[in-house]
Amino acid sequence: MNYSLQRKLIIFSFLFIPLALLGVFMLLPTFKLFQFSLTDWDGYSKSFQYIGLDNFKTIFLDSGDVWLSLRNNGYYFIGHLAAIPFEIAVASMLCGAVIGSRFFKSIVFMPYIINGVAVALAFSFFFSPSGGFNAILDALHLSSLKQDWLGDYRVINFTLVFVSLWRYCGQHVVFFIAGIMSIPKEYYEAAEIDGANKFQMFRHITVPGIKTIIELVLFLNVRGVLAAFEIPFLMTNGGPGYESSTFVVYTVKEAFQFSHVGLASALGIMLMFITVVVYILQKKIIRISG
Amino acid sequence: MEESKQVRRLRRLSLTTVIKYAVLIAIVAIVFIPLSVILLSAFKTPPEMVQGTVFALPKSLNLNNFTDSFKQAKVLLALKNTLLITVTSVLLNVIIGAMVSYIIARFDFKAKKLVMSIFMVAMIVPFTTIEVARFSIVKNLGLYNTLWAPILIYVGADLMQIFVYKQFIDKIPESLDESAMLDGASYFTIFRKIIFPLIIPAALTVAIIKFVEISNDMYVPYLYIPSDKFRTLSTTLMVFQGDRTLDWGSLSAGVIWVILPALVIYFVFQKYIFSGLVAGASKE
Repeated sequence: MNYSLQRKLIIFSFLFIPLALLGVFMLLPTFKLFQFSLTDWDGYSKSFQYIGLDNFKTIFLDSGDVWLSLRNNGYYFIGHLAAIPFEIAVASMLCGAVIGSRFFKSIVFMPYIINGVAVALAFSFFFSPSGGFNAILDALHLSSLKQDWLGDYRVINFTLVFVSLWRYCGQHVVFFIAGIMSIPKEYYEAAEIDGANKFQMFRHITVPGIKTIIELVLFLNVRGVLAAFEIPFLMTNGGPGYESSTFVVYTVKEAFQFSHVGLASALGIMLMFITVVVYILQKKIIRISG
Repeated sequence: MEESKQVRRLRRLSLTTVIKYAVLIAIVAIVFIPLSVILLSAFKTPPEMVQGTVFALPKSLNLNNFTDSFKQAKVLLALKNTLLITVTSVLLNVIIGAMVSYIIARFDFKAKKLVMSIFMVAMIVPFTTIEVARFSIVKNLGLYNTLWAPILIYVGADLMQIFVYKQFIDKIPESLDESAMLDGASYFTIFRKIIFPLIIPAALTVAIIKFVEISNDMYVPYLYIPSDKFRTLSTTLMVFQGDRTLDWGSLSAGVIWVILPALVIYFVFQKYIFSGLVAGASKE
């Protein structure tokens, strides 16, 4: 077989399966999501009706709990965003001269590799009224601060955000470590000769040197916090009421509990737009503030 | 004058050192304290659970919780299913990823931009909400409640993986391909005999992190393979969660059963896991 024919054949055959998989399990569902969002489909009936933009109208006008859920995503967003400077600081500590840096690195990343359901259960226990956290408060003579950390609507989101931070911060730290390692050592040596202190080096060498990684983490962060699901779903199922629900918890409930597939699809479309909009806004704000 | 400056410098240095270690030790404590409650409770008998605080040491190394939860959570079955799904998807994923990357790295063709943008779209689409529509497709294909559903969902190549592989393929000199072609080797032979073996190291790093993520995934098995015989390490723990008369002792032991395999893999392959993440992060 000549090479020009072979060339066509291999390009086609090697791309066929991967693209078919992507088409069937990613693109087709995305397309269907748009289609369903204009219908009243319940997920199991043979037929459905096109109802125009009614689902979107319902979301905007009579689903207060969607907005409550989206507000809760805000807690995750602020929590994880506020953690980023701290993550960078920890990463730069671990890249410096630290005794046992390998040990610390593996501990920092460990929560990320632990099964999410196991994490959720462990923390359900830890934050239960007779659990570990209240026991610590007792031991510190702070009994007056004891709470039902997963029952009281005033604290519940903070508890869940803490669990989310516990689980995901380590991943970001490892990304930042990767970035810092790629900065040439000579920059730091030169700065030291010029008499720069640790903080100045951090501010003027480390942070600019990992700009692309920071951008990556900011993108993953927006996508991750807006899709926050596993922790609230497993630990509180969004309750009490919708007090600890998130946008995706709400969507999943609508789809699989209440059989409002049409409405849930509209919510899915909205999430895509919200993700893109928040990411662009965040980028603009960062550029303005330098 | 000169001396006191140095002294001040030293003092400041030691202060930052103290802060540094204090922060790191605090992090270790935050990571371990919640897990330590699980570890301690797993050895406690029900009466012990109600006496004393959760941080009290168990009176004996009572293993009843471990044996109970091992049976209740069907740990062996869950482990078998998890391994079957994860190993199959990761192996197929490595092959598929290598195939795509080979074409992208070595050939120029009209639809190349289009192919790349399709992979880009797939990265941006939010994965949890897509299930709403994917569910009906999986059902229509007759894959619901079969192991093929999670495998086919996990197996797709992603953009990050393609970038990492491509970077490796770019380092393989094209003269190697050309000399093979002079010997009459087909493109397929070139891929199988030259390209694929050389990207195995890159594949390994991506594969391990994928392995951990797939084996920890809860939502896909929960949604697509709810049948009891298909329970995975994630979904089997949800059996405990639904149970409102919670027995924290055996639950803790169940959590340990599920965490253990991942921790073993983590500490054995740590080096590769880190380099996999690093490779991914520096390419995206």
